[in-house]
Amino acid sequence: MHAAFPESGLLIFAKRECDTCAMVEPVLGELARTGQPIVVLTQDDPTFPESLAPIDDTALEHSFRFDIEAVPTVIRMENGKEVARTFGWNRAEWSRVSGVDGLGAGLPDMRPGCGSKTREPGVYEELVARFGDTGFASRRITIGAWDDDIEACFDRGWSDGLPVVPPTDARIIRMLSGTARRPDEVIGLVPPNLLPITVEKVAINAVMAGCKPEYMPVVLAALEAALEPEATMHGVLCTTCFSGPILVVNGPIAREIGMNSGINCLGQGNRANATIGRALQLIIRNVGGGRPGELDRAVLGGPGKLTFCFAEDESDKTWMPLSVARGIAPGKNAITLFQGDGIQGFIDQRSRTPEQLTKSLAMALLAVGHPKLCEFTNAMLVLVPEHYAIFRDAGWDRDRITRELHAAMVRSGADVVQGAHGIGEGIDPKRRDETAVNKFWPEGLLIVHAGGQAGLFSAICAGWTGGRFRHESKPVTREIRP
Amino acid sequence: MKSGITMRDPTAETASVLRQRANPLDTLKGRTVALMDIGKMRGDEFIDRLEQLCHDRGVATRRYKKPTNTRVAPREMIADIAAHCEAVIIALSDCGSCTSCSTHDLSDLDKLGLAGVSVLTEEFRQAFEQQKSAIGFDAASIYVPHPMQNKTTAELHAFAEQSVDEILSAICTAAAPNPVRRAA
Repeated sequence: MHAAFPESGLLIFAKRECDTCAMVEPVLGELARTGQPIVVLTQDDPTFPESLAPIDDTALEHSFRFDIEAVPTVIRMENGKEVARTFGWNRAEWSRVSGVDGLGAGLPDMRPGCGSKTREPGVYEELVARFGDTGFASRRITIGAWDDDIEACFDRGWSDGLPVVPPTDARIIRMLSGTARRPDEVIGLVPPNLLPITVEKVAINAVMAGCKPEYMPVVLAALEAALEPEATMHGVLCTTCFSGPILVVNGPIAREIGMNSGINCLGQGNRANATIGRALQLIIRNVGGGRPGELDRAVLGGPGKLTFCFAEDESDKTWMPLSVARGIAPGKNAITLFQGDGIQGFIDQRSRTPEQLTKSLAMALLAVGHPKLCEFTNAMLVLVPEHYAIFRDAGWDRDRITRELHAAMVRSGADVVQGAHGIGEGIDPKRRDETAVNKFWPEGLLIVHAGGQAGLFSAICAGWTGGRFRHESKPVTREIRP
Repeated sequence: MKSGITMRDPTAETASVLRQRANPLDTLKGRTVALMDIGKMRGDEFIDRLEQLCHDRGVATRRYKKPTNTRVAPREMIADIAAHCEAVIIALSDCGSCTSCSTHDLSDLDKLGLAGVSVLTEEFRQAFEQQKSAIGFDAASIYVPHPMQNKTTAELHAFAEQSVDEILSAICTAAAPNPVRRAA
């Protein structure tokens, strides 16, 4: 405690910009004249109130330690311990706490105070970081006074190549406010090094990615999805292929946190889309140890490995959301992780009927991976509103579209075996006599409705080659918990 | 040294917080070692002898001299060293600013893949350790006695003679740290 604080007496926290504090200035004088020890701590102007030689608390340390929520606050101390407090102006309350009757003659009986400066937005977390106990377990790293903090993050290998937000305690505290989960809760083991990750480490990496606290539940769910054995994140990270996690968010949370499911939703410009996907990849890098050139052996990689996350457009009620199709109750928040590559544009501005469009889409989908490879990868089709409208207006729903697309992609074995058409790549020659070879597993074609209202341009994301092991590597959908 | 902001480690903390230095070379044969004079007084006398001793051992060198020990090396110099040399010896730091700047130089060259070592006087062991942790780089160092400014040229040459093998072994695994002991 400050040396000037009385063991027994009154502590009064105030600020000049508070009208109630200014109004009670004469009362403070009355209290001082009673002879009892009284110390005023001022949060904004060290000269206020001049007559009482206030203690400068513009750093807010004492206000923080006494957990002041409003000013003026009057605290009675006895033998170094707080025994009573009141805040705002209330004559009866001030009498109770100070033991002095008849204070502030001429003033109204009561008047509310103002918020303490410790409770202004962003301030409290800084004060916890500075004067409190964060309880964080992660190693502290202090850089030189003249060193650039963003460069320091690069130098330590914490970045995906773009600048990261330096993970300071105040930022981590704010990030953790976005989840109800305890910072020391272990979420799982992160590949490729299979090292444990806590909610605190998730928050640190989310800070670095540029997330806002309200994205935390989505980041946590994305990580939980990635750590499901079926997500095969280990292989997706280490693969020589192009793939990374593609994240699709469903439910009201997508709108609440401002995710983009419309114009340019697979592109740049939306903070939630950009940083949630990035946070997952930073976790894989920093906690899991998955760094390009080391265990990440992608021959080319893809821009989606920086981040690839978007929301499904659920505004058209005729469309069953992806999460619902994958077993999550309607209206629930959920995230789907699809192991996939970048996008292959699908241009069709001529098909007018669902039958035409189905054949047309099937032709493009057959190119996924290689036109002659079958049941080798999964695929995600991002169907834009104008293309979906052609199906919808004919009464086709998600189920029908999926069924018809699969049917339109069936070919004969002879057509796609290795060597057919003079092309070495293809399916096992033993399947030559099969009459109906499917392009994808029945559950291997995921359709998402998203994109701007104008443009007959859908997109196909090829799946990772690990998808050929039908029961080993699958897209994963998880409910998002608070 | 004053410290700056504090962050929290985003990794699983299985490794040191310091970035691992570039691996020492497996041989000095056919390689060129940059001798970077940080520009501090008397350092050139030490490096003159070090250069001779390198040549006696068949090690090719290329001399550089910073315009001042009080700043990091000009970018052109860093680029030139990286273009022509595979390893670097930076000498001789015997003050706070030279220790700080030369450690940054060492870090910059390390990021370009050069095996490097800094030569400092004993007095700056702690400053070097602090600078290493501030930069986050597990730099290599060799120390000679402090003070050096009041020494004769012969004494500075003796410092070089006593430390040359240790210096070379810091940048090359094949170099013997103490040939006398090995011979014994």
